[in-house]
Amino acid sequence: MPSPVLNAKHISKYYGSGHTKVRAVNDVSLEIQPGELMLIMGPSGSGKTTLLSMLGGLLKPSQGSIEIEGINITQLKESKLPNIRALKIGFIFQTFNLLDALTVEENILFPSQLRADSSGQAKQRANELIQQLKLEHRRRALPQTLSGGEKQRVAIARALINEPKLILADEPTGNLDSQTGQDVMMILHDIAKDHGYAVIMVTHDPRVEDIADRIMWLEDGALRDRKSETHQWARDPVCGMRVDEWKANNKFEYKGEHYVFCSQRCRERFERNPAEYVGIKK
Amino acid sequence: MFHWIWKSLFKQPGSLTGSALGIAFAFILVIFFDAVWQGESEQIIAYPDNVKPDIWVMQSGVSNMHMASSFVWDWKADKIARIPGVKQVTPILYLNNVITAGETKMFAFIVGLLPDAQRAGPWSMSAGRQIKNSGEAVIPDILSNLTGVNIGDQLSITDKTFTVVGLSSGTYSSANAVLFVPFNDLEDILSSTGTYSYLLVDVDDGINAKTLAEQIRYEVDKVNVLLHDEFIRNDFSLARQMGVEVIIIMTVICSVLAALIVAFTSYSLVMSKRQEIVIIKALGAKNRSIFFSVIFQSGLVTMFGFILAVVFAIFIIPSIPMLVPQLTLIVSMSSLLQLGVIAFVVAILGALLPTHLVLRLDPAAAFHV
Repeated sequence: MPSPVLNAKHISKYYGSGHTKVRAVNDVSLEIQPGELMLIMGPSGSGKTTLLSMLGGLLKPSQGSIEIEGINITQLKESKLPNIRALKIGFIFQTFNLLDALTVEENILFPSQLRADSSGQAKQRANELIQQLKLEHRRRALPQTLSGGEKQRVAIARALINEPKLILADEPTGNLDSQTGQDVMMILHDIAKDHGYAVIMVTHDPRVEDIADRIMWLEDGALRDRKSETHQWARDPVCGMRVDEWKANNKFEYKGEHYVFCSQRCRERFERNPAEYVGIKK
Repeated sequence: MFHWIWKSLFKQPGSLTGSALGIAFAFILVIFFDAVWQGESEQIIAYPDNVKPDIWVMQSGVSNMHMASSFVWDWKADKIARIPGVKQVTPILYLNNVITAGETKMFAFIVGLLPDAQRAGPWSMSAGRQIKNSGEAVIPDILSNLTGVNIGDQLSITDKTFTVVGLSSGTYSSANAVLFVPFNDLEDILSSTGTYSYLLVDVDDGINAKTLAEQIRYEVDKVNVLLHDEFIRNDFSLARQMGVEVIIIMTVICSVLAALIVAFTSYSLVMSKRQEIVIIKALGAKNRSIFFSVIFQSGLVTMFGFILAVVFAIFIIPSIPMLVPQLTLIVSMSSLLQLGVIAFVVAILGALLPTHLVLRLDPAAAFHV
């Protein structure tokens, strides 16, 4: 078994002291392997973003330790953390957080310029990501001219430019319509499955549950068993995601059977080689 | 990082223009008052600086011309003229007084010239002729423009009336105007006889002025003998103390104002980028990089403002005296360079406070932007 990309042990975050002490995150332990897609779910105010901030080296835990690729970031000096964030972690935000003045390509390249060993390879890598995420026609566009889905694809490319092993995504579909949200989820699914990134995603979106390897339920700062929810969904034969048959826009008939898909992307994959997916029990 | 800062600035051309114009305005004020200061400083010593004898001789205890009174017996001029090495002695009578030209009363330096004086008169005439007879006067052309008193018109000094026969150029400053009248008339006004105010001494070719000055001091009692440069230095120094210091105070006030505008502009620019700075901190930008980027931004905007101010100084300020002839403005390259250095320092200082604030921003806030 490969060593975990991230290993957090008994991390807690307290604010205030004495009677006013608030436990935002309480004794949370988790680890994630390469290629794994983990969801952190929970009600608002449960501490999800605080946990994600600590895992990303943006916030120091009050207790516990966090190792990223074997480096204990809780013991590092404050001045060393930016380097860890730039090289080891890719961030994807709910509000995209693109830099307004920079073009799509420049936004994607931005983290590569924070590296001490910034080189021409970054440009090549940016080109690959632009193609992979279907942004060729928007390469020179400014963020304000992009759709929500395009913005999030740029943010994903930016998170991947330095090839970090760990991707932290905070509600990446929160500001997107359902179809675009499904596309973005599939991209995150693919970067974990096809490219071996460890992806931790904070989300409220129940559709993501099916493509996740693990789901953590955070409530009152502590990890608990995930609450079960009953859904009646049809399964996407490509990715295995449950899709609401009544609302699904992507449908396809093959050998007399009706199939529904979470996104156009999955439908296109299916259309290219249906035999690969038919008969596979997900 | 620098690329981001550069593009961010040009992304909001209105904001950049506003900031640069604000800074330019402050610098223009500084350059303008400095130009007034330089111009008035030069103009207030225009008379001694233009007549430029090798040696000035005056009453003992007097060491300049501006607002001074000096009396030297006429026989001392004859004695100096006989000293070997003296080429020429030109005596003048001199009075600081208020003149009345038309409806205007103003302070003036009045120089009384002997009929046979070869020098010491107006060095440049813009109209009319030099004085020849009693009751005639040459006044500055700008004074003529301001008061409406032209050639053929009259003006008065104390109770004596003079007819303007010529207009001189380069003889006016807002602190004083230089008028030329016949020696006898000024003698009359002063009720003095047998005395001069200053002796303008020229030395023969090949004679060392310093050595000759020593000789005059040795041979002539109770006079002060100064080389031209020394005399000018004294005059300039006193003139500054008496009048130009007001301009210096104005210049200092404008400099402080400029510093505040630059500081405020830097602060506003940095604070407007606060959210994006949080994001780039989260992405892994180091505080040091952010610090230098913010300083770079502040320096860049200040530089734009400075360039605008210099363009204004070079192309607009020199034409202001055409509209306001009583102003003498001199924009010197050394002043602009000095201002450039000040601008750079002010830009850095102005960026320090906002930089300090943004460096303390919490990168975890990127999840809440």
